[in-house]
Amino acid sequence: MITLKTRWLIFSGLFIIVTLSYILKISMVSQPSPQVEKSFDYLETLPESTIIMVSFDHEASALPEIQPISLALLRHAFKNNLRIVGLSLFAEGTAIGYRLLNKTAGELGKKYGQDYVFLGFKPQHIAAILGMGESIKDVFPEDYIGNRSDTIPLMMSVSNYDDIDIVISFADGDRTVYWIEYAGPRYGQQVMAGLTAAMITSYDPYLASGQLYSVVGGLRGAAEYENLLGKTGKGNRSMPAQTSAHLYVIALIIAGNIIYFRNRSRQGRG
Amino acid sequence: MPAGVLQVKIITFIFLLAGSSAMASDSAETGAAWFDPATLPTLIVSIISIIIVLYSIYSVRSGREFKVREIPGLKAVEEAVGRATEMGKPIVYTPGYGGDIQRPTTIASLNILSSVAEKTAEYDCRLIYPTHDPVIMAVAQEVVKEGYIKAGYPDRFNPDDIFYISSSQFGYAAAVDGIMSRSRPASVFLLGTFEAESLIMAETGNSIGAIQIAGTDSTIQLAFFIVACDYTLIGEELFAASGYLSDNPSILSSVKAQDILKVLIALFVIVAVVWATIDSSSGWWSY
Amino acid sequence: MQTRVPLLICLVFGIIMFLQYFSAHPVARAIYQTVTNDWWQVIFAFTLIVGVAGYARITLKKLGQGRDVPYSLVALGGLVLMPVLALIGGTKINSPFMWAFENMLAPMQATVFSLLAFFVASASFRGFRARSIPATILLLTALIVLIGRLPLAEMISQYLPKATFWIKDYPSMAARRAILIGIGLGSMATALRVILGIERTYLKGE
Repeated sequence: MITLKTRWLIFSGLFIIVTLSYILKISMVSQPSPQVEKSFDYLETLPESTIIMVSFDHEASALPEIQPISLALLRHAFKNNLRIVGLSLFAEGTAIGYRLLNKTAGELGKKYGQDYVFLGFKPQHIAAILGMGESIKDVFPEDYIGNRSDTIPLMMSVSNYDDIDIVISFADGDRTVYWIEYAGPRYGQQVMAGLTAAMITSYDPYLASGQLYSVVGGLRGAAEYENLLGKTGKGNRSMPAQTSAHLYVIALIIAGNIIYFRNRSRQGRG
Repeated sequence: MPAGVLQVKIITFIFLLAGSSAMASDSAETGAAWFDPATLPTLIVSIISIIIVLYSIYSVRSGREFKVREIPGLKAVEEAVGRATEMGKPIVYTPGYGGDIQRPTTIASLNILSSVAEKTAEYDCRLIYPTHDPVIMAVAQEVVKEGYIKAGYPDRFNPDDIFYISSSQFGYAAAVDGIMSRSRPASVFLLGTFEAESLIMAETGNSIGAIQIAGTDSTIQLAFFIVACDYTLIGEELFAASGYLSDNPSILSSVKAQDILKVLIALFVIVAVVWATIDSSSGWWSY
Repeated sequence: MQTRVPLLICLVFGIIMFLQYFSAHPVARAIYQTVTNDWWQVIFAFTLIVGVAGYARITLKKLGQGRDVPYSLVALGGLVLMPVLALIGGTKINSPFMWAFENMLAPMQATVFSLLAFFVASASFRGFRARSIPATILLLTALIVLIGRLPLAEMISQYLPKATFWIKDYPSMAARRAILIGIGLGSMATALRVILGIERTYLKGE
């Protein structure tokens, strides 16, 4: 068992390394992975005015990791004049989603109601996903700020998933699975995901089978996407910290093994 | 349970299954079929699996005995409770954030809780059970109370030790960490469906020197538990706990059925791999 | 009677929910949505009241006994403050409730989540030891994946990121699928035992 003193050393070392990496402002370029390239190429090739759906299915705790991913994808979508229908199937993601949409829309001069709309939160996520396959306006009769859905210009060209090209789910848990399992097979809806790094491996089987189109995962995924977009954001700014933390953990593993073998040889001699 | 009751249930189950698969008539209003043909392979595999499980349960009547191999994590339950009693410290048992009462993993966790509760009642050791779900809290209170009654010490049961904290993941994780840091349990049970809070709890338990027994159905969190805990129940070991701890033949026979099904799946995979290697254009195994 | 009625309800609903999966009919879908969403929401709401009331009672009791006073005060304060803010100013954007959520709850949750980074460091220091051949293989694999995910990986070797993805997509995925198959079979057997009433632990621990 490692002692309290050792724990404090480990924790302090990590804190110092990460803080220094932010202070020193090192820049790094991440080569895009196949999944991020696939996600980027998909949005890049969509015709202007195509409508996509974006769902903020995450908790507030995942915001530091999810926000760079969502900002990158939203900026890309708005830059290519795609129209966005936003919603949330997680209560905590509602206000976060609304704020992120408004922020990116404001940066690119997009108008609420015409270029994007935020429908708000629906507690019964399975019923919501299935219901939107028949009629989105029935599931969300009003948007988040209280406007009737049938009076919003963007919503007049949206009935159900037939009018939505792809659903992008930003998640830190298993909400994306419901999109894949309900919107996918029943309505043929294409699904893309923006996930925390810890969740990526959980969705590998869906990627392998093609049920999930692509994934942008973790801060590294956000950094890669930003590089493809040509705009530095939180993803790239966090890469030095993440890299230094990785290197620190590698050093700890090596140090731990050196200590282990040294103690073993001492016991052998003793 | 009387043999006749189980037989009635099995027959009812099979009749309803057979009846449902025969209902392929179209609805006059919507044109939607009662049976979705796309789910046929799933139905066939489900029926085969259910038949094997039912046969195993039924065959126990013929007097066949089933033995489950030693599962270190479950064998250590008695040791963990004994340790807590000797040290005069409590036990913390928590089912994780990821699951609710519908999940089989939570049911499996409650099975183990029942056994732990009987032992803590016997040894007069405090059992603290914090949870994120009020439904699980309600069920756990009944399970623990029944455990104490079965052990013959109903007066030792304290319902305030089984409580709801918060439905927020990290509110729950922080609360459990706080409970562990302040009450310094000798033994920690982390059994259920866990998400990101798994390592937070496991490392906290490790830092206070508690013996930790963990088990989850999440493959990601399993890796964290294996590193941080003393005993980890991997895969279906968690589900075998009920039979292992109770030695109930009906339950043990269903564990045996799981093994039979696993062998069948392995054979299917081998055949499909060999076939795909020889004839890569074929795809009979996919649907 | 006390156990027979719940067992019967369990059997009937277990079979219905199993059968509805194989049906695309609107009636089947309506049954699924009614049970899993509407009824479940109602059950959850009432048990939430029980849970919160129970938690408040236990916390007040601790306060009365002088145990964990600062933590109990914070817990009760939060329990009261958020509903009061919601009732006064609503829950829309720019409301006091949202301010508390974005400036207190969200940072606190992110803080607890970020403890994982520190715990991963200490767990790695303790866990990745070359005690045996399998442990050494695990150690080397972990090092390859850790280095392979760095932006610097391409500078060290172009094969490192490829090796990382290969490990993730093949041996790791194979092991995970094997465990998932075992878990799936265990879940199925447990569910079947519950439906048939063989497993009754959830029912007063029998």
